[in-house]
Amino acid sequence: MMLAVCSVWLLLVCLVLYSRLKVAAAAPTCTNGQAGCHVLSLANLFDRVIQHSARMHGISNDLHSEFELYFLPSKNQIGRVSRNCHTSTILTPNGKENAQRMAREELTEVILKLLVAWRDPLWHFHQSLAHNHEFSNFSSNKSLEMSDMVHELRKGVQKVIEKMKMLGIMGNSLGGLGTSESLLAPDSAEWRLMKDYDLLYCFRRDSSKIQNYLKILKCRIVPEHGC
Amino acid sequence: MMKNDGGVILFWLLLLFTLYARGKSYSVPGKPTLTRCRSPEKETFTCWWEPSSDGGLPTTYKLYYRKEDSSDVEYECQDYRTGGKNSCFFNKNYTSIWVNYNITIVAINALGQTFSDPVDIDVYYIVEPNPPENLNVTIQNDKGWPFLRASWDPPKKADTRSGWITLIYELRIKLEEEDEWEIRDVGQQKVFNIYGLQSEGTYVVQIRCRPDHGFWSEWSADVQVKVPNYLRRNRSTWIMIIVFSAVVFLILSWLLHINSRNLKHCLLPPVPGPKIKGFDKKLHKSGKSLDAFKSLDVPDFPHHTFSKSEDLLVEFIEVYVPEEQELMLEKSNDLHDGCLKSESSVSDCDSGRGSCDSHTLLLDKSGQQTDTQDSQIDEQRLGEDLQDEKLSYAHQDMVSPDMSAGRVKTWPSVFSPLPQNRSTSADQASSLEMAKQHCLSDSLLPSEFLTSYHSLSGHGTRDHLGSNYWEFNFGNKRPNLTQPQTEARHQAHSEINIFTTGVKAEPTALKFPTPRSSDYVEVQRVNEEDSIVLRPVGSNYDKHFEIQQGEEYSRVKGVDSDNVLLLLQKEAMEEEMDMCPCEQLSGTTEAHYTKFSTSPEKPTAYTHPTPQPLEERVVNGYVDTATMFTMPPY
Repeated sequence: MMLAVCSVWLLLVCLVLYSRLKVAAAAPTCTNGQAGCHVLSLANLFDRVIQHSARMHGISNDLHSEFELYFLPSKNQIGRVSRNCHTSTILTPNGKENAQRMAREELTEVILKLLVAWRDPLWHFHQSLAHNHEFSNFSSNKSLEMSDMVHELRKGVQKVIEKMKMLGIMGNSLGGLGTSESLLAPDSAEWRLMKDYDLLYCFRRDSSKIQNYLKILKCRIVPEHGC
Repeated sequence: MMKNDGGVILFWLLLLFTLYARGKSYSVPGKPTLTRCRSPEKETFTCWWEPSSDGGLPTTYKLYYRKEDSSDVEYECQDYRTGGKNSCFFNKNYTSIWVNYNITIVAINALGQTFSDPVDIDVYYIVEPNPPENLNVTIQNDKGWPFLRASWDPPKKADTRSGWITLIYELRIKLEEEDEWEIRDVGQQKVFNIYGLQSEGTYVVQIRCRPDHGFWSEWSADVQVKVPNYLRRNRSTWIMIIVFSAVVFLILSWLLHINSRNLKHCLLPPVPGPKIKGFDKKLHKSGKSLDAFKSLDVPDFPHHTFSKSEDLLVEFIEVYVPEEQELMLEKSNDLHDGCLKSESSVSDCDSGRGSCDSHTLLLDKSGQQTDTQDSQIDEQRLGEDLQDEKLSYAHQDMVSPDMSAGRVKTWPSVFSPLPQNRSTSADQASSLEMAKQHCLSDSLLPSEFLTSYHSLSGHGTRDHLGSNYWEFNFGNKRPNLTQPQTEARHQAHSEINIFTTGVKAEPTALKFPTPRSSDYVEVQRVNEEDSIVLRPVGSNYDKHFEIQQGEEYSRVKGVDSDNVLLLLQKEAMEEEMDMCPCEQLSGTTEAHYTKFSTSPEKPTAYTHPTPQPLEERVVNGYVDTATMFTMPPY
């Protein structure tokens, strides 16, 4: 008798939870004009993406400091000045005026290029860290997180672009992802030559670039929210 | 020769000159060091260096740098003045973010030049903004409670509007007279509220900022603000609070005063004094011990309810001297009725009532059989027979038990010695008052009492007992008899109140020098005439009497057909602790019974033969001894 009551109760609870989960998880993809759909505004999207990039930059900063402690490169290396990041081929604005002079599409493309360029190197970096027992689990976990974040951030930026295109803010002159990928394809071997420390140095910088460009974009496109 | 002299002189001159010239030595300048580089807005930056020794000659400093993206080209600083002395200012045209600068300082003087160590910088990471501007603190009101609202602007040069720089702020506040600041994180907002202010206090507020990847700025200038007095309008509240607390305090103190005695009792428990009923401490202290002991005599004993003496449940035998027959009749009837009632109510004899249950006192006097008839004659006879014995003391005492709460309490029986020259009639029933058997007295005995009794008896304190107590155990005194208390049992019973060791627990200092009305009597032995030899409790008599150590207590098992009170021997009684006496009456264990006859095996007590057959009164093994004994005339 008790067992029956308990099982009925459990069933009810399960049903309720399931229904709630369905409601929560199945956020329907909103098409234009669909009622009851929680549409994220462009400002919200931008905020999320910027937060994401800030976190990514933080992790890269931490890893870089860690590496600096353990593998302190000699300071007076001449070669250090001409550190060649594999993304140095991508033309990025190095000043405020340069960045502001750039069209939003161009800037967006730069961001995307950077994100695409770092996907593979970070993944391999994580692999090398994981297999190398010299490094702690902490570093290995961070590298994995970094690698995942690059991937997620790229998807997020693409969503922003879609939204902007949808809103008519951005024209369709933006090259597709294909062009970005194809740009890097022949050069893909270059990053393998980078050492771990240099890789981290380069990525730290690039992640800060990404974050800054996104902020500039946001304050240019949706300036009313916290600019 | 002349040349030699000239050479020597020249040598000495040169030596002197060098010695003279040592005080002022010129050398290449020392190595300068680049101390810091800062950018206030991530668009320009300035570097400062520290020169070391100049080598005694005028020294100039130059700054050269290489950029990462064009490392083969060496640039020189264009502006040595804007930043102050020993500085280099890079304006917008020469500043690139996310580009590594390799900067070297060169110190040049007439003798040579010295290079400093190169330093790598990235402008993105050396941003230190100016402090926020236009800090403004105002007092706002929130339903009568004031708060401060601080607002500010970002530093002018930092371009936050375009999103080029993101600044986060930090505010600190303190009272003017204090030393320690209270720091609050503000985030990216430019407005902040401060609550919890001190009335009429003067506050000082400062603000600073930093980019999310750079250094903190300096603190801004002080802003002072005075908080008005906002408690005045709440004076009535204060008055109410004061009045209320005063009232509460008064109430508490009054309560404390009321309960001061209880509190004192609780905190400082008084030393327990002697717990003897009727014992007058003062009298005792005053030295009149006799008087003090006299006071123990409780004349109105039956009516005196010892409310606190439930722990003094005592089984005792009353020695009763009936004044009138009618009284006795009445009493006996009452007792009889009560006893019957109790008997009927205690239909089961299995409740382990023990000795209390055996109402019968088997009296076997020279083959005489006790009757179980309800008549005072029995009691009278019993009284007579008992009187025949050398009962020095008899005391009519013990009354119907206090029926409070349906429980029967036994009181310590105070036995008064009967004068020897009493009339026989008086003596008849007085000597041994078996008027009531306290049926439930043993049940009323608290277990600890019983145990104490038992332990006492078990531990060989028998001599002790024997000397001081009249152990007339007619049934009640089994310590093992932890019988359930039944309410209706002792409705005006005739009780055999057996004075047990409970009274023994009283300080034995109470030695009665002479038999007095409140003395206790003790069964010393049963003599050949089937009389109970009693002796008063007291040290005086100890030597005169032999005590049967072994079996001072016997338990009334029942009345057999010969009207003989069957008493258990000590050992047997211990064996049959938990057995219902009624079961024993069948006679199987009669061997354990001590028959009181002319030749008792081990007489422990003498029971007065009842004139009537008692077995009729045995209901479930219980004999109502009320029929056997007269009631004391109360």
